[in-house]
Amino acid sequence: MSALVGVSARRKRTDRLGRGLLLLATLIALVPLLAVLYTLIQKGGGAISTSFFTTDPNGRFFGDPGGVKSAIVGTTLMVALAAALAVPFGIGVALYMVEYGKGTRFASVVRYFVDVMTGVPSVVFGLFIYILLVVTKVGGGFTAWKGSVALALLMLPVVTRSAEVVLLLVPDALRETALALGSPRWKVILRIVLPTALPGLVTGSLLAVARAAGETAPLLFTAFGLSNTSLNLGNQMNSLPIQIFNDVQKAQDRLVERAWGAALTLVVMILVLTLVARLIQRRSSTA
Amino acid sequence: MEAGSINARGDRSVLERSPLAKLPDQATKWFLTGLAALILVIIAFFFIRLFSEAQPAFAKFGYFGFTFTDNWDVSSNIYGALPLLVGTLITATVALVIGVPVAVATALYVTELCPHRVRGPLTIMVELLAAVPSVVYGLWGVFVLIPKLRPAEQWLSDHFGFLPFVGGNVAGPSYFIAGVILAIMILPIVSAISREVMSTVPVEHKEAALALGATRWEMIRIAVLPYSRSGITGAAMLGLGRAIGETIAVTLVIGNAPAIGKTVFSQGYTLAAVVANEFNEAASVPIHRAALIAAGLVLFVLTLLVNAGARFFVARAERLGGKKGRVGAPGSAA
Amino acid sequence: MTKWLALVATCLLALGVAACGSDNKSSGGSGGTKLGGSINGAGATFPQPVYEEFGSKVKDKFGTTVNYQGIGSGGGVSQFTAGTVDFGATDSAMTDDEIKAAAKKGDAVHVPSVFGAVTVSYNLDGVKAGLKLDGKTVADMFLGKVKKWNDPAVAKLNSGMKLPDQDITVCHRSDESGTTKLFTTFLADYSPAWKNGPGVDKTVKWPTGTGAKGNDGVAGCVKQNKGGVGYVEQAYALQNNFTTADVKNKSGAFIAPNLASTSAAGEGVKVPSDLRFSAIDAPGAKAYPIASATFLLVYKDMCKAGLKPKQAKLVKNWLGYVTGDGQKVAPSIQYAPLPGPLSTKAKAKVASLQCNGKPIKG
Repeated sequence: MSALVGVSARRKRTDRLGRGLLLLATLIALVPLLAVLYTLIQKGGGAISTSFFTTDPNGRFFGDPGGVKSAIVGTTLMVALAAALAVPFGIGVALYMVEYGKGTRFASVVRYFVDVMTGVPSVVFGLFIYILLVVTKVGGGFTAWKGSVALALLMLPVVTRSAEVVLLLVPDALRETALALGSPRWKVILRIVLPTALPGLVTGSLLAVARAAGETAPLLFTAFGLSNTSLNLGNQMNSLPIQIFNDVQKAQDRLVERAWGAALTLVVMILVLTLVARLIQRRSSTA
Repeated sequence: MEAGSINARGDRSVLERSPLAKLPDQATKWFLTGLAALILVIIAFFFIRLFSEAQPAFAKFGYFGFTFTDNWDVSSNIYGALPLLVGTLITATVALVIGVPVAVATALYVTELCPHRVRGPLTIMVELLAAVPSVVYGLWGVFVLIPKLRPAEQWLSDHFGFLPFVGGNVAGPSYFIAGVILAIMILPIVSAISREVMSTVPVEHKEAALALGATRWEMIRIAVLPYSRSGITGAAMLGLGRAIGETIAVTLVIGNAPAIGKTVFSQGYTLAAVVANEFNEAASVPIHRAALIAAGLVLFVLTLLVNAGARFFVARAERLGGKKGRVGAPGSAA
Repeated sequence: MTKWLALVATCLLALGVAACGSDNKSSGGSGGTKLGGSINGAGATFPQPVYEEFGSKVKDKFGTTVNYQGIGSGGGVSQFTAGTVDFGATDSAMTDDEIKAAAKKGDAVHVPSVFGAVTVSYNLDGVKAGLKLDGKTVADMFLGKVKKWNDPAVAKLNSGMKLPDQDITVCHRSDESGTTKLFTTFLADYSPAWKNGPGVDKTVKWPTGTGAKGNDGVAGCVKQNKGGVGYVEQAYALQNNFTTADVKNKSGAFIAPNLASTSAAGEGVKVPSDLRFSAIDAPGAKAYPIASATFLLVYKDMCKAGLKPKQAKLVKNWLGYVTGDGQKVAPSIQYAPLPGPLSTKAKAKVASLQCNGKPIKG
């Protein structure tokens, strides 16, 4: 790296200082992550036990506070329903934009508004579903399926955007060959485009699911909360974020400990989902 | 794109399908178009419904009155959202001031300085920050960050009291802590987009600077940063949008006091936090509920504006450099 | 690809089976007809400990799950009026305006459940429980006029006690709270400055201090701040081993919050026919001055208000337990049972509940 002109000592110092600052900043950026993970494992680990996963929070004021089973079941159910709503919808919209709407004004408008949707805070989605469905008592008051709808609205733009990117990557040549051979368009989509794009679509969906699993605000207004395990989507339901949110605000140490345990569980769930998503992505790109 | 239609003799081609067989195709097309249209309908409905539900509050206090009056008084049912708006802006500013430099520096380090083998793991670790949900950050903030930072905050407050907005007793939850947590939360997105923008800096620029004798740091200053300015601005605005809308982590560490705090270490409130906290009590008080929805609407509009600005800058960055190279015309047809 | 899907599906299935295995099946209790089912309630955090205790007893006895969300009295009244819960809970009786708002669904019925005490809890090194305080001094603390623990106003009441030179950190509620209303009622009785200033309400403009959600939040605030003072229900103070103040009552005696003084507050209190009363500043010599009853809210005709007949029956059963057998359970966590005459009136209210015009049987 020696230049034709000598580098002054001052410039060398500035260079070292600047690079040192950048390194320092990067390390600073990593400190919160390590701190959070460390605390999660240290404090949350203490709460983890078999009973943690197999008993419900019992609200008892003295004595054993119970585990978080209802929260885990609730999160799984509600997020699964949300995914069932958002993923087909999102992929459908992306399919439209790539297969039929490419270059049209309408598609750009849709794309713009999907982008707009990504920026909407989750609490606003919760509020919307609250005034649309909960207050009007459509199918009950606070119910779990309304929570799923709010989560689905949240996931929709994420799924659509990532699906569109993935679908665009499918080579046009594949489509054109199939069409030239007389295959109808819908078959091309079903048999050629979707299977080719599948790993990417799954990755995008899993990442959206991971995001939805951690959301609290939309569920506050819709699913509200419950202590016991319930599979009834037509009634209130517990969820890990809500359980953590409630326990954080308690003064008792054992409840706070339960919050840490639940937080650890939630983060592990999200990390697993993210990891699986990335693995699928890596496998498909190297395959 | 259909196979065949009319053959040389003017008859229908044998390859052409009967109108009946075309039906699934038409159905698919209309179905998918319908889905796309449905999104527009949902969004329009969204806005309209929010607006109409917020109307009573705007009717009673006026658009400007509601947004800019400094008096959020639940017991007298008077709702002026200025303390919330100010709180939102203060926490977002603190988040940007702390978060953007760190994020940009991290992006610079990853793209320019760090050894190749470390690049992947480092990138993943910064992205992992995004995997931690908001409520967990709130939990960590309440039980780890607040107690740990308190002595340092008190020291800052005591020794830098001459600065505006610094000073006073540090209680615990505050704008500052909320800002720090938000900074951590926007780090991944600002860093990721900055990284993307920086990786599009043409290698020729960088090599030219180095060839002329610039040190690494100078090369970054001369070649990388000016080129990435638009993109970094866009990234920062996306981070801002995220910081404005963050609810749960903020409400756990900001103290939820509906007044404009005197210093950055005071307690405060934000638009998002007030909606999450008070909707339970507002369920049957029409004006309170309308006020909360109006606050949500103000928040929504704010994020729309910020995100629109962000998109503008990011698109500009893509146009100026972008994957198509400097010569490519903007928005070439697909 | 399919392997991953199969794995995920199996996990979901396992979860489902585990969940099914315990979904609302009664865990074998002692006697009582198994009604099963579940009811949803929301409201005050003041009685939350005792309601949770009642709930677990009801689950054992009847198999009914009582799901109670502590969101504050304001939330309780609001959700009750909106009809999104089966029953509401509030420490302060509904105001005339609130009753008018609820009139759309029907007549709101207040069922007093237990008496509780609002302690003045503090976190001070070296100061044991029993710091003597009166209404005016506490009001001045919460007004921000008394800023340190060794202020003359505090020292005057506690001659002979060494008070530290510590800043007072006020902890109050940030949500709409019946506990706040009870506390501010007490403050307003003894401090004109408070009465004309922040006033009496479920939520007021607090001149100073840190806000927190729920009785739990205030307890947390007191716990985390040296020199903190906050108003929390007795059970929360007990649970966190708080030192609580002896508060001067109407007769001039400094009374500690406990079961006896809480019960004493209930004696001799005048109760109107709709049972909307407050026992703050009770006249009894041994009465704790910041104690009062807390209420469960239901509509007189529950089914007309929107509940299904089965739900109405479960709610009535729950109320029957609260006003009946539950009264013997309450003292175990320092909540005082209703005094005789009040208890009779409460039971009568429960018996008068209807479903579509007909009294509810069973």
